[in-house]
Amino acid sequence: MSSSDPPAGEDFADLFQTAPCGYVSTLPDGSIVTINRTLAQWLGRVPEELVGRPLYDILSLGGRIAFETHLAPLLRMQGHVHEIAIDLLHSSGDRIPMIGNAAEKRDQDGTHRFTRLTLLKAVDRRTYERSLLERRVAAEEEAATVREGILLRDQFIAVLGHDLRNPLAAITAGTGMLRREKALSDTGQTIVGEIGKSLDRAWGLIDDLLDLARGSLGGGFIVQRAADEPLAPVLEHVVSEIRAIAPDREIESPIAFDEAVYCDCGRIAQLASNLLANAVTHGAVDRPIVFEASTPGDRFQLEVANGGEPIPEAALTQLFQPFFRGQARPSLQGLGLGLYISSEIAKAHGGTLEVRSDKAETRFTFTMPRLPVD
Amino acid sequence: MILAPEAVLRRNNVQVSGSGERTILFAHGFGCDQHMWSPVAGQLADRFRVVLFDYVGHGQSDRSGYSPERYGELSGFTRDVVEIGQALDLSNAVFVGHSVSAIIGALATIEAPGMFTDLVMVGPSPRYIDDDGYRGGFSREQIDELLDFLESNHLGWSAAMAPAIMGNAERPELSSRLENSFCNTDPEVARQFARVTFLSDNRADLRAVEVRTLVLQCSSDIIAPVEVGQYVHANLPNSEYRLLKATGHCPHLSAPEEVRDAILEFV
Repeated sequence: MSSSDPPAGEDFADLFQTAPCGYVSTLPDGSIVTINRTLAQWLGRVPEELVGRPLYDILSLGGRIAFETHLAPLLRMQGHVHEIAIDLLHSSGDRIPMIGNAAEKRDQDGTHRFTRLTLLKAVDRRTYERSLLERRVAAEEEAATVREGILLRDQFIAVLGHDLRNPLAAITAGTGMLRREKALSDTGQTIVGEIGKSLDRAWGLIDDLLDLARGSLGGGFIVQRAADEPLAPVLEHVVSEIRAIAPDREIESPIAFDEAVYCDCGRIAQLASNLLANAVTHGAVDRPIVFEASTPGDRFQLEVANGGEPIPEAALTQLFQPFFRGQARPSLQGLGLGLYISSEIAKAHGGTLEVRSDKAETRFTFTMPRLPVD
Repeated sequence: MILAPEAVLRRNNVQVSGSGERTILFAHGFGCDQHMWSPVAGQLADRFRVVLFDYVGHGQSDRSGYSPERYGELSGFTRDVVEIGQALDLSNAVFVGHSVSAIIGALATIEAPGMFTDLVMVGPSPRYIDDDGYRGGFSREQIDELLDFLESNHLGWSAAMAPAIMGNAERPELSSRLENSFCNTDPEVARQFARVTFLSDNRADLRAVEVRTLVLQCSSDIIAPVEVGQYVHANLPNSEYRLLKATGHCPHLSAPEEVRDAILEFV
């Protein structure tokens, strides 16, 4: 028995006719020479009525043009095409999605004799692919809408933040004049003092908003780096400010360096102040806050640690996103921009801001190159 | 923006070969790239300087040069052709365009007089959709069905194919190529080119084509039927019409000798 003989019980002619896939062969001019019973049956026909007719008669219009513009050229050039999606026409006129391979049968001398196609029904598969395409289009549209929304929001924030400064400046000036009024009662002085504190807070919020808007509107954070202003006293001032706001909290502040740091001192102070204020807000009241600044090697490093409940795993990844707010008393809540702005400041200095949080402590570590890197 | 000649040649993957007094520029149609023309171009390289190229977004062109605005109309493709012609300093050249590129060539002769003085249109159609007193071969619904089909097809999804597999040999060994390394079009580009091609109406432009033109019509072409070829011939001021024995829409692949002979007789 030669290898081309069918094994016992199998019959090649029957296999061709009733295999669970469709076979069709055409002449180079596109007319059908053979078509198996399976495919004919799928099309609601018998093979005899299709032989001699153009292949186009069983292709959908889209299929015909795809065949002419893509398949036929590819078949001529490479002899075969795999995994093509093509719609065939049922005798009722319905389209049947199929997937298949095609190959040219050529002579020894390369003359094109037949084009053979093997086809499988792909109704579910095509439905699935279509839904994927639709989802992709929908996702693209959604993403565009979201982008537009974010841009509008940022523009709104920028305008709002900017325009609020004028009335606020007037109130600040007015409060300053009131404070110097000799006739002001003690109660009046207290009230003016409280107004002043609220004003400081309002200014802080507006500065944060403007930082956010500048950062996301493409302007970037304005950072003016220099190495001529000593950083250590600036940090000491930040600590003393926070001590004044929270006199009952213990803050350990080893600031152990006097080297110059190539940075924007105002921005680093802003970062330090944000981290420290966070530690006051979220840290356990009975545990000391550690504020540590040093210059290991050629880097500048600032660490702020506090005790208390660790930050939940889920929150850790979002911490540096704008408008993220943790669990804090509403009166203490800001806009949720502090850590976002701090991490932007870190980036603008070529540095990083990272957080570790467990039962022992929550520790933010900011590190940056101490000197300019080219 | 005006690109330097080298930048244009790189962008459109322009391949120049052969030598001769005149230059023939071959332009591929919808659905493939410059390789469609290799069988014919290879046979003319002993008598002509032969130029092949890919429209931006097709074949091995630089896809970063693609913009939906520019290529949302045939004029964008015409600009590709004219810019290539300028980069190569072409004059008195022959333009051979297949399918939609036959029309693009016509537009290029109007846009840049003198650059191409002979035009060969292979399977042209100035409008695919039937209109009052005009038969393009398709109804609007059919074209919509076609566009819908093309959008959901795998073909042209091979955008990730490595560019390295495309050699620059004049007659590459076709069999050694990887799967579908031809006709490797960015799906978005293919989608838009299909729309531009099948929804265009350039009937009015035909009358403005002053150069000698040869209309090569296939015997049985479902995309550009015989009567469309005759319409093109009848509406061109200075044209010859030739019905090929070849069938289908791609005679340059199925019968390259017949196409070659027709071009040689004409120019």
